[in-house]
Amino acid sequence: MDFYYGLAQTMGIHTLLGLSAYIVLLTGQVTMAQAAFFAVGAYAAGMLTVLGGWPILPALGAGGVLGAATACAVGFPALRVKGLMLVVATLAFGEGVRLFFFNFDYQVAKGDIKVGPLGGEGFRQIRYFQENGWTTGEAMLFIWGFVVLAMAALWWFDRSRYGAVLRAVGEDELAAQSVGVNLTAVKVSAMTVGGAIAGIGGGLYAHYTTHIEHANFNVLLATFAIAYPIVGGLKNVFGTLAAVVFVQAFLIEGLRFLGDWRNLLFGALIVAAMNLRPYGFLGGRRA
Amino acid sequence: MLDFIQAVSDGLLFGATYALIGIGFTLVFGVMHKLNLAYAAASVGAAYAGLLILPLSAGAPAWLVFLCAFLAGGVIGWLVYLTCFHFIPLSNPLAALMATVGMLLLIDEIIVHSTAGMPQNYPAMFDDVMLRAGEFTLRGDLLLVAGVSILCMIGLLALLYRTRLGLATRAVSQQAVAAQLCGIRVGRVNGTTFVITGLLGGIAGALIGASVGALSPLLTAPLTVKGLIVTVIGGLGSIPGAIIAGFLVGAFENVFQQFRGVTERDLYVMLLLFAFLIFRPSGLFRH
Amino acid sequence: MLELRGLSRHFGGVKAIDGLDLEVRKGEIVGLIGPNGSGKSTTVNVIAGVFPPTAGKIVFEHQDLGSLPTHRRLQHGIARTFQNIRLFGQLSVWQNLWVAQNAPGERARRGFVARWLGGQTGVRAEIAELLEFSGLAHKQDELAANLAFGEQRRLELARALAARPKLLMLDEPAAGMNNEEIGQLRDRILKLRAHGITIVLIEHVMELVMGVTDRIAVLNFGQKIAEGTPAQIQADPLVRKAYLGGI
Repeated sequence: MDFYYGLAQTMGIHTLLGLSAYIVLLTGQVTMAQAAFFAVGAYAAGMLTVLGGWPILPALGAGGVLGAATACAVGFPALRVKGLMLVVATLAFGEGVRLFFFNFDYQVAKGDIKVGPLGGEGFRQIRYFQENGWTTGEAMLFIWGFVVLAMAALWWFDRSRYGAVLRAVGEDELAAQSVGVNLTAVKVSAMTVGGAIAGIGGGLYAHYTTHIEHANFNVLLATFAIAYPIVGGLKNVFGTLAAVVFVQAFLIEGLRFLGDWRNLLFGALIVAAMNLRPYGFLGGRRA
Repeated sequence: MLDFIQAVSDGLLFGATYALIGIGFTLVFGVMHKLNLAYAAASVGAAYAGLLILPLSAGAPAWLVFLCAFLAGGVIGWLVYLTCFHFIPLSNPLAALMATVGMLLLIDEIIVHSTAGMPQNYPAMFDDVMLRAGEFTLRGDLLLVAGVSILCMIGLLALLYRTRLGLATRAVSQQAVAAQLCGIRVGRVNGTTFVITGLLGGIAGALIGASVGALSPLLTAPLTVKGLIVTVIGGLGSIPGAIIAGFLVGAFENVFQQFRGVTERDLYVMLLLFAFLIFRPSGLFRH
Repeated sequence: MLELRGLSRHFGGVKAIDGLDLEVRKGEIVGLIGPNGSGKSTTVNVIAGVFPPTAGKIVFEHQDLGSLPTHRRLQHGIARTFQNIRLFGQLSVWQNLWVAQNAPGERARRGFVARWLGGQTGVRAEIAELLEFSGLAHKQDELAANLAFGEQRRLELARALAARPKLLMLDEPAAGMNNEEIGQLRDRILKLRAHGITIVLIEHVMELVMGVTDRIAVLNFGQKIAEGTPAQIQADPLVRKAYLGGI
């Protein structure tokens, strides 16, 4: 049973990652930076619980706030970069953040051992769940609580004027401007919300996996982040959820018997999915 | 000072390979207005494929390996075209982008699987030749790398500006629909563009392997990022831009490595990219 | 209400607008005509803030617009439609009008949270009015991309009206319409003027321009070559030579 709880935990965290990209993609900004905001949240929340002794909720909150702040800072220069150039810029930014954590040391002595991030070694012993007696099932429910919250919030946005404005900007910026939409506010706000969701997801990730290092937050993770909403379709949040379940459950676990070859299959499956259903599982375009 | 000049000169010579990778990205973007994220991986893959000749003809000279890599690059380029651009509707750039990411992962995994992740030695030419002028040296193998790269660039420019195929390619890049109405087979032109950039990539991969002395799957991610940086700095769609930017990034990177070490080097290249994105987002040359 | 003083807009070597002086008084319907490439659409784009002027000034209600961004000009009351329809195709008719609810009084009236995160109830009345005006009430949930061409044109117009503009610039609204539709468009434009909206109309369809405008300005190569009532313009030999053709 623990195994399935673990799988559900992974799915929950990846859903948060995917949702953080979903809202940004709605505005037409293709972002490879979500893994970077995820990383910021992970290190921040981890450091607060391990080094600062904070309880988990405020630590996650801080992770979300820091993820949001980083995203907001990225959001403004991102406005100057159009289309596919944004992909490159955010990819480079993501790599830059990864390199930052590769060089990041902050250790504090606790008892007779040193804890905290140590450059390439990473950040070990993020054991809040273990030290406070959480079972795998409880951790899973905790993670999914946040997933449900994020999905509910985004679902609400989608049905509100904000959601329509986001999609209008994604479709035609010039027309949106001409009817009075403030592009800067809309695009940066979407990036910021995405950063907040990624930051919380990252914080949960750090505590679920107990050991994080720079290599976890690489181009591959950034790819997963946008792959979920693209493969699932941008029609609504359930597309992203469906994509996460498909990728995680079937590919990684269901094909476990293929051993090493399942990584090979992941790439091939994305290629196949894009050729067969270019607008995503649940579709994003109806016309 | 001499160290500086040495670093610049070595960097410039090596930068010729970055120029080739940058040209590959920028040419596909110029003609099809799409980004082929699998390009650097395909180039490294082609370089590996070049090694396949060795068991077939023992003691094959280095240039034969390069030639095989060159040809393999063309084949792989065509395969990427088929799987990512031929069938996917042109109106959905996101799907094509994700498909290229899928191919990137696929090629990476194939490399890892066939070599069990172990780095492979790569033959070099003129690696024992050193031209000296006092304290200043020019490595023979780097000179070859630069020389071959420059020859390829000249060849490409001749193709684009002196042949009918080149004319058709330029027509498609400016007005695909009109080109079609003039009887140009757009699908053929696009496919050929991929083959040509594939050939260039193959030789670039081989030259990189030759100058480093070995190939490893760890090359793909940094090469992708660097190639994209070169493309952006040079201006998306501009070949002269990619050429100059390639040399620039190569020199820059080497100088930073010389004075600040390998770990910080990549961060500085990133900063160069961000400087361009902030002050000159359209790159050196507009398309 | 609107004054263009020595307005110029160059694109590299091309002088799309070259020293244009034009005045539009409140409540007028002014036509802007001329051959293709004479600078009509560029003029609309510059007034709307899409391009900054290379020289000259745009004064709207005694205020120099300077480098005010497009969405802020909308707040000041300047709206426009596009020559090539630019609807939000993947949004419904209702949503297209909802996105455009950016009239200046809105913010004060409804508050931030309600405007952005509230449901559809608060704006039902305003949007219903627009749907009524454009005859699209029965298609309010249809995706904009699925509408017939004439319906799309009507939606584009309704969307431009959503923010209660004072000045409305119509860029070739009659293109592709048949005579019956042109008649309906004429009636709609006159109705808008009756509501107090000042209109600038770019058109090639002469029967519409001559029949609905108070004054016409004629552009050629970015310059104004004639200005006057429809009758005066029709009689002007320069205009006939450049554009209308024949004596």
